[in-house]
Amino acid sequence: MSASEMRRAKRHLETTRKMKDLLPRFFMRTFERRFSNEPLAWCMVGVPPELLKAFDLLWEWPENFGTLCASRQVAPQFIKTAEGDGYSPELCTYVTNTLGYCKLWTESGEPPAESPMPGGMGNPTMLLGSGFICEPRYKWFQTVATRFVDCPVYSSDPLAPPWDVDPHDPRIANHYKELLREDLHGQVEFLERHTGRKLDPGRLREILTLSHKALAYWRDTLALRQAIPCPMGSTDYFSAIIPQLYMVGEEEAVDFYREFYHEVKDRVDRKIGIVEEEKYRLIWFGLPPWFNLGFFNYLESLGAVFAIESTYNVGDWFEVEINDPLEAIVERTWQRAVKMHDYGAEAMPELCNPAVFGGFVGSRMLEEVVEQYHLDGAVMHLTRSCRAVSFGEVHTKNRLAEMGVPSLIFESDMADPRLWSDAQIKTRVHAFIETLAGRDPGGSQG
Amino acid sequence: MHNLSGLARAAAIASQPEARVSELRQESGRPIIGYLCCFAPPEIISAAGAIPYRITGRPGEPTAEADAYLEPYGCSYVRNVFTQALKGRLDFLDGLVISHSCDLVQRLYGIWTYYHPFPYSRLFNVPHQVTPWAERFFKRELGFFKESLEQFTGQAVTAEKLREEIDLANRNRALIRELYQLRLKNPPLIKGSEMLSLLLAGGWLPAEEFNTLLNEALEEVEARSPEGTPRPRILVWGSLLDNIAFYRMIEEAGGEVAADDTCIGFRLFEKDIPATGDPDEGLKEHYFVNFQCPRTDRGPGTGRFDYLLERAREYNVDGVISYIISFCDPHKFDYPDLRDYLKEADFPMLLIDDNYSFTPAGTIQTRLQAFIELLAR
Ligand code: SF4
Ligand code: SF4
Repeated sequence: MSASEMRRAKRHLETTRKMKDLLPRFFMRTFERRFSNEPLAWCMVGVPPELLKAFDLLWEWPENFGTLCASRQVAPQFIKTAEGDGYSPELCTYVTNTLGYCKLWTESGEPPAESPMPGGMGNPTMLLGSGFICEPRYKWFQTVATRFVDCPVYSSDPLAPPWDVDPHDPRIANHYKELLREDLHGQVEFLERHTGRKLDPGRLREILTLSHKALAYWRDTLALRQAIPCPMGSTDYFSAIIPQLYMVGEEEAVDFYREFYHEVKDRVDRKIGIVEEEKYRLIWFGLPPWFNLGFFNYLESLGAVFAIESTYNVGDWFEVEINDPLEAIVERTWQRAVKMHDYGAEAMPELCNPAVFGGFVGSRMLEEVVEQYHLDGAVMHLTRSCRAVSFGEVHTKNRLAEMGVPSLIFESDMADPRLWSDAQIKTRVHAFIETLAGRDPGGSQG
Repeated sequence: MHNLSGLARAAAIASQPEARVSELRQESGRPIIGYLCCFAPPEIISAAGAIPYRITGRPGEPTAEADAYLEPYGCSYVRNVFTQALKGRLDFLDGLVISHSCDLVQRLYGIWTYYHPFPYSRLFNVPHQVTPWAERFFKRELGFFKESLEQFTGQAVTAEKLREEIDLANRNRALIRELYQLRLKNPPLIKGSEMLSLLLAGGWLPAEEFNTLLNEALEEVEARSPEGTPRPRILVWGSLLDNIAFYRMIEEAGGEVAADDTCIGFRLFEKDIPATGDPDEGLKEHYFVNFQCPRTDRGPGTGRFDYLLERAREYNVDGVISYIISFCDPHKFDYPDLRDYLKEADFPMLLIDDNYSFTPAGTIQTRLQAFIELLAR
């Protein structure tokens, strides 16, 4: 692999650029607590962060650590270390990134020097896995706890009905909600046992209220991207997810998303786009190549902007009654599943996952977003090591083709740059842009 | 094929696995329901008056047809099976049941039924954690599964009928265990490839006929006297193996497949479905709680492999060969833990990572040979 010229990403918004100050301040606050032997959980998307917050727990996201290692170009070190242990290069590279990190860390007793965060991910006292979206996310912690850290594990295990089973049938709804509910209660019991604290429903309610406030701004901001020209691009999108991951339930996070919303709104009002001449509006499918986020800017330089992404939606906002806060979390998860289901989601039945609203592959939601976001084309990242998210792309491409929307599918990975080739990818991008140009010479503004 | 019996018949069935079920369908009008993986009990399919049929792939056949619907990255077995459907080779099926075993199989369900709908299809959902609530979910899922079949066949799945089917299938299991006992001998009285061809035939025949076949085979095998000098004894662990080619390669390389832990293997037959007042309780125990597939999370620690170590000792094997299909996450995640665990117990392990084609045959053969020679020392 040679260094890519697409490594560096440029963000367009003031708010997301300001995160550079916001986040370190936030991390420093929790950092000190790490050294006073407070319980620390490593957790997966699918674990409600609001719950962790209610337990006043410190937490870390190894998945997100993977994206960070990838964007700082250190993931390959960790991945190769895990491969040396017998982990296949086909396995999710977020996982192998963690496994390599753990190996170096446990061997030397120190956070590896390559770690992009000082102190690494800390010493977990519990692991909270989840079966949302994919198998790797419970096999991951099973492996960590088998090989590296001897600590208790709880993996939540939500399921959702397949596309041909009716979630509006009350018996089906109960069947699934029962599982979601009991699983969540199991998680609470686990947290109570291992933190020695009792869940305070009042506290959880406050946190949920703040979290939902932030999510409402997030949802409204995303909708603003329907405007022509598109006021916000993917590089901003992919960084704006961080506050909801780490600062959930904090006033500061609500402030962030409020400001974020107003900045984007202002750009819409003043018709400020992210490129000088917006020629093509696109939808992004799959995980981003974190080591080359400048790829998005590269497309922008050709007049192509992404108005919507299929992954890393930090959560859809649902109107749920939060009087009983645990039930609110169950209801939120279930509503999400039902919504995706109503749109049809034959290719990705793990519909209640919060991070991938791209569960809409092949469904009627595609038609809706193509129209609402005035889309001209789709770019899909087929990640070799994450089949969970890229599964369904071919099907989505077929469905888009029926609507006359062309797609480009290119192969690489989210964290492992070994599969990336600038030259090849550029050639394909240019060919795709030509297709778009040939199809509608005026672009979307015509 | 009708004049053949026992092992010869089992081997012959493999050349046209759907022949017998198609014949039965013609005679009785009972629909044929194909299934993948073993979480949705085939006993329920039979109890509803349909004929269960285990869908298998054709290792090594090109799967380019699947490219129009599926990504190139993904379990090559899944791609292969779907290619069979696209080629019309599974058109004899009236229905399709897919369990949520692994990610890929579960996701195949949507694509398959979208592009190629069946008069009946069902995804059987399965939790990954074994918790009291997951067990309750599994039992409810059994109920919904039954109901959907009843609606399709018009025949009620009574507890009595179900118990009958379970009894029949348990007789299969008992006979299979008797055959496995004969593998304890050194050299084993029955070859691994012969055993697998019997088990495969079991997926393509009604339980009653399978019992006949097993009885015949048992008689043949019991009559054998141990031949030749003992060879290194192997346990095969890993992803799905629905073709005897791989066991043949091991045998040609000088090894003896004495035991296994794969999907169409001892995993299914090791224990009976427990006889419980409520048959669903027994089905849940058998197909969920006890079914050893790495897709089910049995918590951290190597205790999750104890059963395998016991088996390796019981069958007195010299080494373990692990066969993993490319992109098979559940098995690939477990491999290093298992390898280290077995190593500590002095069982060497060889990994064959294959795209469901057993190629390049020369390379695989050489690696098998080298490993087996090492064991022979
Ligand atoms: S969804 Fe993909 S990237 Fe995320 S943990 Fe699963 S396999 Fe890895
Ligand atoms: S081989 Fe692995 S990935 Fe393929 S169907 Fe079996 S468990 Fe799933």
